[in-house]
Amino acid sequence: MKFKKDLPPNALYVHIPFCARKCNYCDFNSVVSGTKTIDLYLSALESELSALKGQYVFKTVFIGGGTPSVLTETQLEKLLCAVIRCISVSEVQEYTVEANPGTLTANKIRLLKEYGVNRISLGVQSFQDRQLKFLGRIHSGDDARKNFILLRQAGFENINIDLMFGCPDQSLDDWENDLETAVELNPEHISAYALTYEEGTLLTKNLNNGVISKLDECIELDMYKTVIDYLTHNGYNHYEISNFAKPGCECSHNLVYWNNMGYVGAGAGAVSSIDGARTSNENDIIRYVNGIGEGKNIKSFGEHLPDDQFASETVIMSLRLRQGISNADFYKRFGYKIEDQFGDQINRLIGDGLICYDNERLKLTEKGLFIADTVMTEFV
Amino acid sequence: MSTERIRNFCIIAHIDHGKSTLADRLLEKTNTITSREFRNQMLDDMDLERERGITIKASAVALKLVCDGKEYNLNLIDTPGHVDFSYEVSRSLGACEGVLLLVDASQGVEAQTVANAYLAMEHNLAVIPVISKIDLPQSRPYEVLAEMEKTLGIDTEDALMVSSKTGKGIDEIFDAVIKRIPPPKGNPNAPLKSLIFDSVYDEYRGVIVYLRIFDGTVKVGDEIYMMKTNRSFKVEEVGIFKPKMVAKDYLSAGEVGYCIANIKSIRDVKVGDTVTHYKERTAEPLPGYRPPMPMVYCGIYPTNNTDFHPLREALERLSLNDSSFTFEPETSQALGFGFRCGFLGLLHMEIVQERLERESNINIVQTAPNVTYEILKINKEVIKVDNPEKVPPVNEIEEFREPMVRASFILPAEYVGVIMQLAEARRGKYKSTEYLSEKRAILIYELPLAEIIFDFFDKMKSATRGYGTLDYDFIGYEAADLVKLDILVSGKQVDALSTIAHRQDADIKGRKLVKKLKNEISRHLFEVVLQAAIGSRIIARETIRPIAKNVTAKCYGGDITRKRKLLEKQKEGKKRMKSIGNVEIPQKAFLSVLSTDE
Ligand SMILES: Nc1nc2c(ncn2[C@@H]2O[C@H](COP(=O)(O)OP(=O)(O)OP(=O)(O)O)[C@@H](O)[C@H]2O)c(=O)[nH]1
Ligand code: SF4
Ligand SMILES: [Mg+2]
Repeated sequence: MKFKKDLPPNALYVHIPFCARKCNYCDFNSVVSGTKTIDLYLSALESELSALKGQYVFKTVFIGGGTPSVLTETQLEKLLCAVIRCISVSEVQEYTVEANPGTLTANKIRLLKEYGVNRISLGVQSFQDRQLKFLGRIHSGDDARKNFILLRQAGFENINIDLMFGCPDQSLDDWENDLETAVELNPEHISAYALTYEEGTLLTKNLNNGVISKLDECIELDMYKTVIDYLTHNGYNHYEISNFAKPGCECSHNLVYWNNMGYVGAGAGAVSSIDGARTSNENDIIRYVNGIGEGKNIKSFGEHLPDDQFASETVIMSLRLRQGISNADFYKRFGYKIEDQFGDQINRLIGDGLICYDNERLKLTEKGLFIADTVMTEFV
Repeated sequence: MSTERIRNFCIIAHIDHGKSTLADRLLEKTNTITSREFRNQMLDDMDLERERGITIKASAVALKLVCDGKEYNLNLIDTPGHVDFSYEVSRSLGACEGVLLLVDASQGVEAQTVANAYLAMEHNLAVIPVISKIDLPQSRPYEVLAEMEKTLGIDTEDALMVSSKTGKGIDEIFDAVIKRIPPPKGNPNAPLKSLIFDSVYDEYRGVIVYLRIFDGTVKVGDEIYMMKTNRSFKVEEVGIFKPKMVAKDYLSAGEVGYCIANIKSIRDVKVGDTVTHYKERTAEPLPGYRPPMPMVYCGIYPTNNTDFHPLREALERLSLNDSSFTFEPETSQALGFGFRCGFLGLLHMEIVQERLERESNINIVQTAPNVTYEILKINKEVIKVDNPEKVPPVNEIEEFREPMVRASFILPAEYVGVIMQLAEARRGKYKSTEYLSEKRAILIYELPLAEIIFDFFDKMKSATRGYGTLDYDFIGYEAADLVKLDILVSGKQVDALSTIAHRQDADIKGRKLVKKLKNEISRHLFEVVLQAAIGSRIIARETIRPIAKNVTAKCYGGDITRKRKLLEKQKEGKKRMKSIGNVEIPQKAFLSVLSTDE
């Protein structure tokens, strides 16, 4: 696979697996920990990062979690220092840090700015306290609004807001209200996720015990259609299944994932994809810290997909993008045409009106978008 | 070699009474296998047997034993205990002169103890009663002996007591086998007369036949002749089971072994056939085996229509090794070309289906199982119906008849009441009760086969906390008020989902069935309507709502692998589905009729 080898990874992901409290729907790799554990973790992370120095030229950096903003100011500075030492600041075009309302302070915001962070992803989820409570978030709608304004005042010109829809007793009106508030704040980027019930979460437990029941799928679909319509009309480009951006403000870092290109991950549970090999660090924080301390292998998972599977995965990931996948790019990368591997499926799906060709790009139709998973199984 | 030093015997018992474990001890004591090779239930060498912990195929093994300074050749056949594999037992009995009849010291006499003991007596074999698992604290060997005398009328004075766990009593088994089981009769110098009691297909060597030699001798280079199929072959190898195949120069009267003769066509071999020499033939063939009557039928179809011929080959190959299932080509509007297959019971059906898939790599779907019905038509013609689709229009039927069985339950006396209730609810006719002892009873009912073959067994087991056992024999057909219950998927009748039901249960059954189907069939991009109908009367209806939204909201770097695996799993599930019209029906849906529970 020439293409992959020609392009070494240029995206760096750094994971901070700590939160102020665990949200009811969350199955991410994050825990509530004391300062001591966080300090130990940051030291370990620092040494993992320092080993990366000079190996890659990163164009995008993304510090995610968890909640990076839950770190104390001292800890945050330590983290930002560690990151800046293994990147070449002038090469980095996009540097994102995730933050949650209720954990940001003016000082933390200043630190972020000082260390070259140029994009903030704010986990708002909703501006309505009822929804926030249901989700188990630590902040109010007002906190979110205030934090956003603070960020703007500090000079952040590229801010994403995460929103969530599909809570059991959320109405279409509630959702429209959230969207209106978000648009009034005028962020450059909005991610709108449908609530999902993941195994092991409190919400799923409640669902199974009959304490709550899922929102009707048709209403959820209406909400999804609403967000697409509303944001598109307000100048946002619907560029990925759940992501919207002002022109030119698409998240370059995440585009790396959706195009199935290489990236390097650091921190507990972080995944790297280098030269077609995907590896994952140890999820468990203590094991990660000890592993690094003892200089042991901290990878807990690795796979190297055969070319055809890697190609299939690339098609699946790229179909998440509204512009789909370019036949020419695919050819350059894999040395054959998409049809050579998926001719039958493509004909069938085009016949069903679920995918189409648009300017040499294969993409989901609107009908296909709503049932994207069903469509994607055809490319496995 | 003279037959004086040969003993051929089977181990028979109810399921789980310890046959294969006893065989392990006999293998060890005779040093037939090294301790390095040994593993528990050594003779259960099929993956399916090991996974399920039960014996499915009878296996033969040759043991060498020195007793009173003389060397003996013993041929042991370990048999399965489950009722569905009783044909394995009866075939094995045909190759033996005696049996070890095992009874678990704490379970006591159970239904297949009686059934298998009677089989052995019908074959006029020497029966050695053996009480097994005497190490268990709840064992009650003397009561069990009394039960044996009462049910089987056999003398238990010389019964043996063993524990395959502690090894107690194992040596006495050898002694009894040699002293109490007669050596085989037969003349090694007479023309060859041997019985094919089993066979297996080997990709490289063709059909391997398992033989019991009654007269004569067979050796490499001999021209042999199969009397029923009229075919002759040149012997390439003969040998015995240790338990792996070990070549020998010859097999002669009284011995049990295998024979390889470059037999490439499966159809040239019939289990039960007599093998003799081509030139010097035996006068009379052996009586062979009476093929067992299938109790339950179902359709087996390849999920992929192009797999019809490979499926036929796979069925033929499998039938070599399991001659107790039958198959006939049939077509279904819904499923295309496939086979109607007959089995001895549901476990048998399940095993055949699993073996087919494992041994041939073909994905199959299997339709709802049913029993065979008899229909007297207005024109006085009597037809047999092994597929609900073959039921003629109502106005041509004078009498609808169903198969009846005589069922005997052997169970602890305290459960007699619950089993009676269960049997009455299944349209059973009470016949008699007999007490084996204060604690154990035999209950006899006449029941429609269709009522006991599906979910009855599990119900009985749970009602008796696992202690109830059941054996049944077909007794004939009896008129009953039966109707054909059809299922329509999006308005189209799906023949493969039709069943036959008693009129009084049909409405409830129809309603339950569409409910279950609703859960089994996943949502489509369009609405799917499910209906149950008797003739043109719709008795139940359910709809499956279309998928409105099915899209993973979040997918970033760390999620890619997980997402791909999820999609792979969904795709794997689709393999076992059959599209009917444009509705994908999973294998499990076809088996919905099996259980009448919600
Ligand atoms: N305690 C004890 N357990 C035994 C003894 N013999 C067998 N078992 C156990 O009983 C169970 C059934 O033993 P098997 O030898 O597989 O029984 P089987 O009669 O061959 O069963 P099928 O072939 O399926 O009819 C296993 O869990 C054995 O370990 C024994 O002498 N003592
Ligand atoms: S803040 Fe984010 S990572 Fe932390 S628990 Fe909530 S959803 Fe999970
Ligand atoms: Mg066994």
